[in-house]
Amino acid sequence: MHCIRKVTDDLLWIGASDRQHPHFEAVLPIPNGMSFNSYLLLDEKTVLFDTVDRAVQGQFFENLEYSLKGRALDYVFVHHMEPDHAATLGDLMLRHPEATIVCNGKSLNMIHQFHCTDPKKVILINEGDTLSTGRHHFTFYNAPMVHWPEVIVSYDSTDQILFSADAFGTFGALNGILFADEVDFDRNWLDESRRYYTNVVGKYGPQVISLLNKVVKLELRMICPLHGPIWRKNLDYMLDKYTKWAAYEPEVQGVLIAFASVYGGTETAANILACRLAELGIPVEMYDVSVTHYSYVLSDLFKYSHIVFASTTYNNGIFISMENLLHVMAHHNLQNRKVALIQNGSWAPCSGKLMSQLLCDMKNIEVLEAPITLKSTLAPGQDQELEGLAKALAASVRGDEPVLVEDNETSKPKGFVCKVCGFIYEGDTLPDNFVCPICHRPARDFEPLS
Amino acid sequence: MKYVCDICGFIYDEATEGPMPDDYTCPLCGADKSHFKPEE
Repeated sequence: MHCIRKVTDDLLWIGASDRQHPHFEAVLPIPNGMSFNSYLLLDEKTVLFDTVDRAVQGQFFENLEYSLKGRALDYVFVHHMEPDHAATLGDLMLRHPEATIVCNGKSLNMIHQFHCTDPKKVILINEGDTLSTGRHHFTFYNAPMVHWPEVIVSYDSTDQILFSADAFGTFGALNGILFADEVDFDRNWLDESRRYYTNVVGKYGPQVISLLNKVVKLELRMICPLHGPIWRKNLDYMLDKYTKWAAYEPEVQGVLIAFASVYGGTETAANILACRLAELGIPVEMYDVSVTHYSYVLSDLFKYSHIVFASTTYNNGIFISMENLLHVMAHHNLQNRKVALIQNGSWAPCSGKLMSQLLCDMKNIEVLEAPITLKSTLAPGQDQELEGLAKALAASVRGDEPVLVEDNETSKPKGFVCKVCGFIYEGDTLPDNFVCPICHRPARDFEPLS
Repeated sequence: MKYVCDICGFIYDEATEGPMPDDYTCPLCGADKSHFKPEE
């Protein structure tokens, strides 16, 4: 039996949701399922906007045949060739050989690669090309690397609808709802929308900004993505989120503490720091990175302005789940964050230095101070260090000027320490052009020895 | 001279990066040097 909903008087939603597969793209948990949107326009010509994932192909083809009611399918607009949308394109072409595929050259190439077939009828489109289907007039724009190279978006100037491919999409089955205004999106959908964007598209911020620059010139009344609810009200809400995410700007001035702890020593330090931050009125969140899937932590790395990485040392390296998280962070191009470190090691703590090295290879990451070091557990007096770190983080979150301590002659620094690797430079002043001989970081990554 | 990756559109600028090495791969999409064409 078909299950469809009306989008407008001549546009139908004919997609479906999957609730049984545990992962999206093989690795991203989808405990709330995933929707695969496809739309059918019944104008003088009929237009199918993308197909769907294998998981929901049965429902999709029932929806399509019911909605066409025996009419021919004139066009298929292929916005994106990833198989969660285009897996059923091959079967679609067999069922409807009369349809003309509308796509760009890169998509056609991928049809050959994925479906080993040559579509009988193709219109190859370039940037800005237009096509009229009767009452509706479409313009096509390339959106390379949002998040694949072949992606296009299409704009219907008649009803002012943007078919945005994966942009503005989210995880989560559509449980009866179709429009974002039918739910409390900020309360119930935003976190999963952020997790979707950051993990699937997060690396391509500059490319998303290029797309947003094109889109902002259009009169927009509706955005129809390939996953998740349709936006027809309060479009600025999503455009604002995307603008922040694409520019790697945090949404919350606050602290995310990501910790990796085996027997509780490092975790206790993280707990104490979190309490001190909360007492100072600073928004704080914590994750045990060995317990929580990295996709959730990455999402909050994008959300918060300040991050504390606390990890035990393991086999002379960073604890594996923390090392994995840092690689994920680098792969997704996250930048513009202030970080602090806590390291632990019962005999040779070095996770702090190793975490610094990974972080300092990312763009515009500022390490606030040298790591706090635990040896197995916090030693007496180390709670003071955590309190000091909480105050430094709070001051940074609030944008306070750093407090200048009055120095008298006897307490002038006798040296400087590299915040990344711990190398000590002996001397009263550090030359501006000094480069650390161990890790090659510049003078600004040094702080005075206290 | 600027070169454009024909897969993803990434632009390589010789003025800032120097001549493109033979083993260069696109930092965005991984395409090899053969996919870079001079910018029109």
